[in-house]
Amino acid sequence: MVLKQIELQNFRLHKNTSLDFSDKLNLIVGGNGQGKTSILEAIYYLCTTKNLNMSAEEDAVTFGESNFSIGGLFNELTENKARLYYDSIKNKKYFFLDEKQINRSTEVIGKFPIVSLIQSDHAITQGAPSERRRFVDSVASQASRTYLELLLDYSKTLRQRSSLLSQIKETRNNVLFEQLDAWTESLITSGTEIINRRIKFVQEFNVYVKEAYSSVVELIEKPHIEYQTLAEIDGENTAEKFREELNAFRDDELRRGINLVGPHRDDFIFYINGMELKRFGSQGQHKTFQIALRFAQFFFIKEKLGKTPIFLMDDVFGELDTYRAGKISEYLLQIGQAFITMTDLTNKDGLNITSDNTLIKVENGKTTFAN
Amino acid sequence: MLIAEPLQKAIDELSKLPSVGRKTAQRLALHILKSDSENVDALINALGELKSKIRFCSVCFNISVEEKCEICRSQKRDHSVICVVEEVSDVIAIENTNEFNGLYHVLGGVLNPLANVSADSLKIKELVDRIDQHGIKEVILALNPDAEGDTTSLYITRILKEHAVKISRIARGLPIGGDLEFADAATIGRAFIGRISL
Repeated sequence: MVLKQIELQNFRLHKNTSLDFSDKLNLIVGGNGQGKTSILEAIYYLCTTKNLNMSAEEDAVTFGESNFSIGGLFNELTENKARLYYDSIKNKKYFFLDEKQINRSTEVIGKFPIVSLIQSDHAITQGAPSERRRFVDSVASQASRTYLELLLDYSKTLRQRSSLLSQIKETRNNVLFEQLDAWTESLITSGTEIINRRIKFVQEFNVYVKEAYSSVVELIEKPHIEYQTLAEIDGENTAEKFREELNAFRDDELRRGINLVGPHRDDFIFYINGMELKRFGSQGQHKTFQIALRFAQFFFIKEKLGKTPIFLMDDVFGELDTYRAGKISEYLLQIGQAFITMTDLTNKDGLNITSDNTLIKVENGKTTFAN
Repeated sequence: MLIAEPLQKAIDELSKLPSVGRKTAQRLALHILKSDSENVDALINALGELKSKIRFCSVCFNISVEEKCEICRSQKRDHSVICVVEEVSDVIAIENTNEFNGLYHVLGGVLNPLANVSADSLKIKELVDRIDQHGIKEVILALNPDAEGDTTSLYITRILKEHAVKISRIARGLPIGGDLEFADAATIGRAFIGRISL
């Protein structure tokens, strides 16, 4: 899938920007605060209706205006026109696909798959377990709607069960125990399914990560992801072990009034050559791992959905040495369409720029084509 | 803008109804204003009787005119089977199918700790008493297929474990008449998880 062109109105610094894109590499070059990342943000909005950096929609409206609009033309087998309009007075987003309004954002998710490698990705390898669960869940949900529904179901059960646990803690009402057992059964049912799917996911995804990692570094480093969930689970006995663990923690759960056992406490441990990345990894290894995870996501989604995602890369080249920059740009040739921001062109030589690519210069919200 | 007070009052009352907004309420009120007084009286009567004549069946908590509802009084129905549902509207939905010939039991909700609904605010104790006193042989749980409905089914199953009664839950899966290709991904996914062996 390819995004052929985009039109921005009142979007951050872009009062009125219209761009035609290459279906290979699109390099967006400019100084800090000139509006490079805004272009990536706009692309992400069009593909997902959501924003890239968790910033509020109203902050994306050009100062002094009350709405923004992003229009784009996608091309796969057919051409699709997408448009997102945001009204800051009503604080409402409207999404149109081929001039027809789409009311549920879930109808758009997966239609225009996108993978983004951005600054905040450092949290995936360096941050809390919740960051890694979020990464895994987002990749797995992109590939499977059923997984997404299971997650929603499980988190609802968690909320209900924790509410009941705290009621028991406050009232010491023994009658509620029988109801707790029922919620525990529900938790085991959906939790077991999630754990089993995560086991399978990590097995599959590891292959993609190894492949991506070896394409980015020259060293013989072997990356590996280990799924850390309840003890001694092999995919066959999950429900049984889950129940045992819940029994073991029952008194603790009652005393503290919170859910202590289940996949909402899982972690995914990253290793390089058998050494735990979080404890022993260098900054460079962290960065490489983050890049490998996103490339792995790209090829995983491509394989599962049978559609080529759009790839976004925000200001990653500035942090890389020439060697890895060169490796990555070689790797980028295997990817379909990519959008890459950079502050200058020092790493450009490694970047295999050909006539297929587009170089866009951005200065204070104004864009010019350089080639 | 000034609107005559009785009209404003009618609009305000009508807009309290579910899925009626201000505009619809205004259209309804103006329509009633234009109607013949006989029609209006008939509407008032119907609404009044709805509240004064209808009560809840003392056995199954379905809506009823008598102390026991028509279904509970009928000799044609199978008095050994009870279908447990959440609300009265579910009884109407199942009755429309003509597939079920037993009795009902309306719980009046499902377990929902977040909304402070626990087992004693539902008609579960009444269900257990019914089973013990009236020789019920089978209980069919027909609650909505979400986290709360499923958990309530599990809870009732546990409570009834020691009682000599057969318990089942209605199946879930693909809608009839819709082709597989048109069903949404979530439904098909769930139908796969809940597949049955043949």
